[in-house]
Amino acid sequence: MRELCDAAVDAAVAAGATYADARVVVRRDQRVSTRNRKADDVTDVESAGIGVRVLVGGAWGFASTRDLTSAGDTALRAVRFATASPGRHERALAPIAPARGTWRIEVEIDPFSVTVDDKISLLLRAEEAMQHADVKVTEAFASARRETKWFASSEGAATEQERVECGAGIDATGVDDDGYQVRSYPSQHGGTTALGGWEVVLALELEREAPRVADQVAALLRADVCPPTVTTVVIDSDQMQLQVHESVGHPTELDRVLGAEAAYAGTSFLRAGDAGSLRYGSPLMNITADATTPLGLGTFGWDDEGVSAARSDIVREGVLVGWMDSRELGGGGFMRADGWARMPLVRMTNLHLEPGDGSFDELLDGVDEGIYLETNKSWSIDDKRLNFQFGTQIAWEIRNGKLGRMLRDATYTGVTPQFWASLDAVAGPEEWKLGGLTNCGKGQPGQGARVSHGAAPSRFREVRVGVRA
Amino acid sequence: MTALEIAHRALELAGGDAEALVHVERSGMARFAASEVHQPTLIENMIVQLRVAANGNVGSAQTNSVDDDALRTLAERARAAAAPDPDFPGFAEAAKPADVEGWDEETAALSPDEQASRAASAFDVPLPVYGFFTSGATDLALATTNGFAAQQRLTDASVRVLAATEGASGWAERTSWRVADVDPPGAAQEAADKAGRTREAVTVEPQRFRAVLEPYAIAELLQWFAFSAWNGLAFLEERSFFADRLGKRVLDPKISVVDDRTWDLPRPFDFEGTPTAPLALVEEGVGRAVCWDRRTAARAGTQSTGHAGPPAERAWGPYPTALRLAPGDAESLEELAELVGDGIYVTRVHYLGIVQPREGVLTGMTRDGTFRIRGGKIAEPLVNLRFTVAMPDLLGEVPGLTRYTQLCGQSDFYDERYAIAARVPALATASFNVTGVGSEPGL
Repeated sequence: MRELCDAAVDAAVAAGATYADARVVVRRDQRVSTRNRKADDVTDVESAGIGVRVLVGGAWGFASTRDLTSAGDTALRAVRFATASPGRHERALAPIAPARGTWRIEVEIDPFSVTVDDKISLLLRAEEAMQHADVKVTEAFASARRETKWFASSEGAATEQERVECGAGIDATGVDDDGYQVRSYPSQHGGTTALGGWEVVLALELEREAPRVADQVAALLRADVCPPTVTTVVIDSDQMQLQVHESVGHPTELDRVLGAEAAYAGTSFLRAGDAGSLRYGSPLMNITADATTPLGLGTFGWDDEGVSAARSDIVREGVLVGWMDSRELGGGGFMRADGWARMPLVRMTNLHLEPGDGSFDELLDGVDEGIYLETNKSWSIDDKRLNFQFGTQIAWEIRNGKLGRMLRDATYTGVTPQFWASLDAVAGPEEWKLGGLTNCGKGQPGQGARVSHGAAPSRFREVRVGVRA
Repeated sequence: MTALEIAHRALELAGGDAEALVHVERSGMARFAASEVHQPTLIENMIVQLRVAANGNVGSAQTNSVDDDALRTLAERARAAAAPDPDFPGFAEAAKPADVEGWDEETAALSPDEQASRAASAFDVPLPVYGFFTSGATDLALATTNGFAAQQRLTDASVRVLAATEGASGWAERTSWRVADVDPPGAAQEAADKAGRTREAVTVEPQRFRAVLEPYAIAELLQWFAFSAWNGLAFLEERSFFADRLGKRVLDPKISVVDDRTWDLPRPFDFEGTPTAPLALVEEGVGRAVCWDRRTAARAGTQSTGHAGPPAERAWGPYPTALRLAPGDAESLEELAELVGDGIYVTRVHYLGIVQPREGVLTGMTRDGTFRIRGGKIAEPLVNLRFTVAMPDLLGEVPGLTRYTQLCGQSDFYDERYAIAARVPALATASFNVTGVGSEPGL
């Protein structure tokens, strides 16, 4: 595969490219799911192809094909596309030492060595443990991915990387005349996924958590609706991960700040000159981007333009101090593509809210009256990443530092900098959890990215909850 | 080999009961920002999805290698993935899908140079533009050992244009299976004209407004409502708004909705081989039907309506992908504004989220052209607004719809290229619940 990449790069340079890189990606994805105690969906998808990116006269071109025997022709098509799209300015890439070497993740249990039967058995046991008179639908799912990627560039880069990811989760759904209620473990979005082998799935202990998930759905069907009010909220790790993703991750992608996503995913309320001075939130807010996080879906050896994995501060003590960017934008280390048929884009790696101090109970201690929100259910945020509205699967009243009655249909809404300014406590390292999302959409044609976030439960003051239609 | 010949070859090498789906894509997208192509993407791919059934077990696997060795390996992987499936309805039997138009030689032949030049033809407006021009040619073939065999060639082309600067933005798009119908300069001019009217936007107090929704806005809202409302699986599991409401008048009598894949971006058979036909979902406000694939139809004791989705989306259940909202008799958007009297005007919505599917509750933001309506006239521009709406409320009292309709693309082109779109008029509603305010339009 190295030779294919080299051939594509050589062909592009010979055709006039001032820079070229090529990626061959071989990927296998397997997903197994059960629904109402029957096997529901078993898919096993393999894909291989090459993508060639070129710079010609300051314009990008990108072409891709599944036909690995036509790497050279694909490079020429990329050059042709770039030539047909002249830009108005030169694009320069920040200098780096050419990446060379191999990187691979070691796993304890190869997920593709576990039989489909064994996977289904594990899921059915979890479903069995969710059986409850008030539960209408139970689901369990597990997934695995192996991806091998070869990269070469006209600057002399030559790398090979292999990664394995696994994930799993369970959902229980109940329905009554007032709506539907769902509980998930460990997260709503197809469970959670992490870099690692089948041991990642086993560690989730789906069967152990299943009875609680079912019991909570049943209780939600009888719970009161979250009232509309402005109050103190404590948000669990899972929802905080999405809060970080949507209201810090995307707005600090520098390509969005500069308009590359304006027509689709949107822009950012931030401006390029804001780094170093803009107050993003309270001094308790510390956000890091870390492409070296163990188990992180955004962990790699090199990104898709050959920049080594690194850790950097994005927000320090509430002040914006860094961006997620690319070599073209002056830095780099955040460029990833969804497979061989897409162009690399600026993407979050693993973006974390760093832990504070104390336990979850200590967070509650500081609340006379408020709401505790747990597990994402719905999400929406505007094109500048300012006005957001999230719903959670479950909530509880907080009274005098203790959890009280359960609440259903909880939503909360806010405006990003004001919301983060109201952060007045982040729980400590013992409460910090890592979760992996596999459905982050960006780019046209659309690309899904896999990214992890770590966060501990956090407390915010004066938040509007209970938005209704 | 044609896509259908590859599908037959995959069946032959699989042996036993099987279904082979082949999808071939050749596409180009010239994506632009600040009136400059910045992300041009050319894709050539072919996938083969094989499902096998034996002894009560069903398994599936997919590859994008199509030589005989790869297809034999594919069959082995599908058999290895087989699991007990007592509800398996069997593979599709012989049927003749309708003849549809959907292949345009000019669109299929567009070169990268032409794709780039059509994108560039959107740049000649007073404001910087952002968006893309794309065209693609796809072949979809499906064959089963039960005798179904069909192939469809489809072309599609779209331009989407955001004209934007600090404090101002406007939006327009065009979609068709014929590139001749897609007019980048026209879309750019529409977007730029709209943007020019959005400067110095003011805020409003959140409240329930009467509103005019342009086709771009109502198409996306309707498509998101459709994900669960007319989804047969959601219906069976009582997550659908129509779960206990079929046969009842639940929307304004002016609302009739059909899912029709026989024109616009036609799809004469679904992804498991059921021929498609127009399906009336709502007639004059009365819920009439939801969508079924073979599996959910068997559970419901009915027939598939031809709504099996592509393999990657099959687990979501069958939902409509070619919505057509019946037009009304208003001649213009201005006439709809007169019907609203006092309210707001929405060009486009952004980042919808499903809050409560059973009641059809969605949240999202307006963008790229939100205005106040006063005295029946479109008035001052507004900042972007957060809304939280129950779609049955929004469609429950509809003062009017335009006579004209527009095809609005609903594909963001993730994974394989399956272009879908909704054809809708502009709509006036008596209930659009604004629950928050955002920032001014523009960059």
